[in-house]
Parts: sequence; structure tokens; C-alpha cells
Amino acid sequence: MITQQDALNWIAEVFGEPAGRVTADMPSGSIKGWDSLGTLMLIADLDEKFGIQLDESEMYALKTVADILAVLERQGALVLAV
Amino acid sequence: MSRHTIEGFRVAGVSACVPPRSVDNLDPALGFDPDEVRKVVAMAGVRHRRVVDDGVTSADLCFEAAERLLDRLGWERDSVSGLVFVTQSPDYFLPSTSCMLHQWLGLADDCAAFDVGLGCSGYPYGLYIAATMLRGGGHRRVLMLHGETPSRFVDPSDHATTLLFGDSGSATALELDAAGRGHFCLHTDGSGHAGLIMRGGGFRDRFPANPRHLALEMDGAGVFNFTIKRVPPLLADTLAQGGCAVADVDAYVFHQSNRFMIKHLVKKCGLPEDRVPMTLDDHGNGGGPSVAVALARRLPAARERPLKVMLLGYGVGLSWGAALVDLPPEAALLHEDYGGQLAKRG
Repeated sequence: MITQQDALNWIAEVFGEPAGRVTADMPSGSIKGWDSLGTLMLIADLDEKFGIQLDESEMYALKTVADILAVLERQGALVLAV
Repeated sequence: MSRHTIEGFRVAGVSACVPPRSVDNLDPALGFDPDEVRKVVAMAGVRHRRVVDDGVTSADLCFEAAERLLDRLGWERDSVSGLVFVTQSPDYFLPSTSCMLHQWLGLADDCAAFDVGLGCSGYPYGLYIAATMLRGGGHRRVLMLHGETPSRFVDPSDHATTLLFGDSGSATALELDAAGRGHFCLHTDGSGHAGLIMRGGGFRDRFPANPRHLALEMDGAGVFNFTIKRVPPLLADTLAQGGCAVADVDAYVFHQSNRFMIKHLVKKCGLPEDRVPMTLDDHGNGGGPSVAVALARRLPAARERPLKVMLLGYGVGLSWGAALVDLPPEAALLHEDYGGQLAKRG
């Protein structure tokens, strides 16, 4: 399980962005590395790091960083802030 | 569940044939953004692709592969009673391209010949069909030809497909052998049929208004997601069907889909990297026959013992399958570039 901040840093790393630049409200279009290849990296890393395999509907619904965080949360990989 | 063990056959030889023309993906003349190209090359692992010249078809590549294999094995043409041609790039909608190959190879008229329309999963499916013909169909020797020319049906402006695909042909000879056997697992999920599709040109839309519908559309993320979910259990099930552990298999020969994808599968399945041959760097993704190309090009031609090989295909359909077979020491492994000089009969 990781914290939201760790998750944001991980997402930044997946898309080749500097740590700290990625925030939950960012849409895919605002992240240069979130292109077709970036999506493959994301799918692979979700599988490798968290053992998460996406349903097709989940995969196509990934439009924002918040959507990725929501997947991690649903799969029990994210520690929610209290 | 489609899991089978088929007794009583062996692979007598595998022959691969690829075009001699090699296209460098980093050639600026291709007209793609160099940064995009470098990213694709780094991820897919395809620096060079073997591409046919105009007028050369998958059947031409398979013909040369088969001709050389029959000669090497010394098989009389009339000893072959079955010809299966697996392709999604046939010469014609009709007749079946297998009928032309039958003529070109000089096979007898008591030979069954037919086409099978499968792509990325075609190699294990083709082996399964050939093995069932031998085991249950009264045949003694069967040729399974598998060829594709994806370079002929990609949109040249689509870097995702154009930079990935090469062309390849193969011939695999199978015959009755009481001591031989193979294990097969075969699957389909038609709900993903749009993940890799040519929308036009078939009888659903014979003359499409949008010319792009005559080219391959690929949902790369969808296909990748399908692959990492489906292939690891396929591999595990096939091992189980054969009563084998990972270490018992000498080579895991994947459809040469994409280096990033294969490396992910290797890691996830805990396979030794040195048992996973790849030809992506200098051939590209040659479709389903890339299994035969990797087998023939990367496994040793001279072997002192049988090699246990798992052959895995997955993709368009969505369709996926694996075959676990022994490759006897005397089985021929041939690979040649296409020359266009071998005479076709008829």
C-alpha cells in the first residue's frame, strides 16, 4: 500500500515527469508522456508493481490522474488520508 | 476449456522465409517525427523490418519455405496428403490460396488443402489442426504453412503500425510418429474483435468510402492489456497440460509482438531470458509466422537431444493459444531470405 503522494510520484515516474509535477486534477492531455506508449507503461507498471490488471472498461476510462488514483484505491493499493 | 494432448505425431522440420529488403525505422525518408520513432523503436524493439516488394505475397514466402523444407526432408510430393495455409493476407478471397500453393508445390490430387483465417495466434492453431489431421484424419504427412504480409495492409501514415510490422512466411512439416505428442491450449474472446481490425474490403463493407478502412487499425493499449492478462495463464495451463515445470522447457517462442510486451511476460511468468528467442530487432513483428521465424533463426540447427519448445501466439481475434512440442534432433530448422527464383509448378 502506498500513500497518495507516493502514488503521484510513481505516476510521474511512469510518464517521465519530474517528481512533484503531477497532481490529482491533471487530465491526460496535460502530461506529455501520457501518450499511447505511456499508457502501455502505465498498464505494465500497474500489473508489475501492484498486481492490478485492468478491465477493458477501466482502462478506457483512465482520463485523469484522479482516475488512476481511483483504480489504486479500488484495488486496495492506496492508503487513504484521514 | 480447449486443452488437448495429441499423441502420435512429430514435427519433422520448420522453415522460415523472410523478404531480403530490410527497412531501417530510423530512416528519415519514412517521414515520421524522429523523436516518436526513437520512442517506438526503444519500446517495441524494432530497428529494422523485413518488408516484401510490391507483388510478393505471403503465399510466395511460404512457397519458398515449403519448397526448401520438402527438399531438405527428401519427402516425395505425393507423400503429403494435407496442406493447411494459415494467413490473413491471402492472395485472393477465392480460390483458397492453399489451392495455388498445392499446385506450385506439385502435390498430389488426393491432398486436402484449405486456408485458415487466423493471424497472431495462427502458429499454435495451425500445429493443432495439422496434428489432429495426422492423429484422427488418416493422414501420414501434413504441411502447415503460415505467412503474413502486414506491411501490405498498414496505413503508411500510422507510425504505430508501420514501424512495427514486417513480413514473413513459414512451412512446418509434421508426420505420424508413435512416440511423439503435443499439448495444446487454445482460446478466443470475440468481444475484443475490434482491437485489431481492417474494417473494409471484406463483404461487410466491400468498397469502403473511407480508404483508411482498408488498413489495419490497432488499439495498442487494448491489445497489450489483453496480452498481459491472458498469456501468463495460457503459459501456465500449457505447462500443466504437458506435466512440465518452467525449467523443463528449453525455449519459449513467443509471437514476436513487441519487445516491451515480451519482456513483461518473461518477468511475470518467471522465464529464463536466455530461453526466450527474439527476432524483433532485425525483423519486426512478422505476425503469427514470427513464431516460426524465431524458432528457425534462433534455435540451434544442430542439436544432440530433443528440445522441448513452447510456441505461443496471441492477438487479433482476440485469439490466443500455445503448443508444447518436442523438436527432435533430426528435425530440420531452415531459414532463408526470399529469392523469387524457385520455379513454381503449373
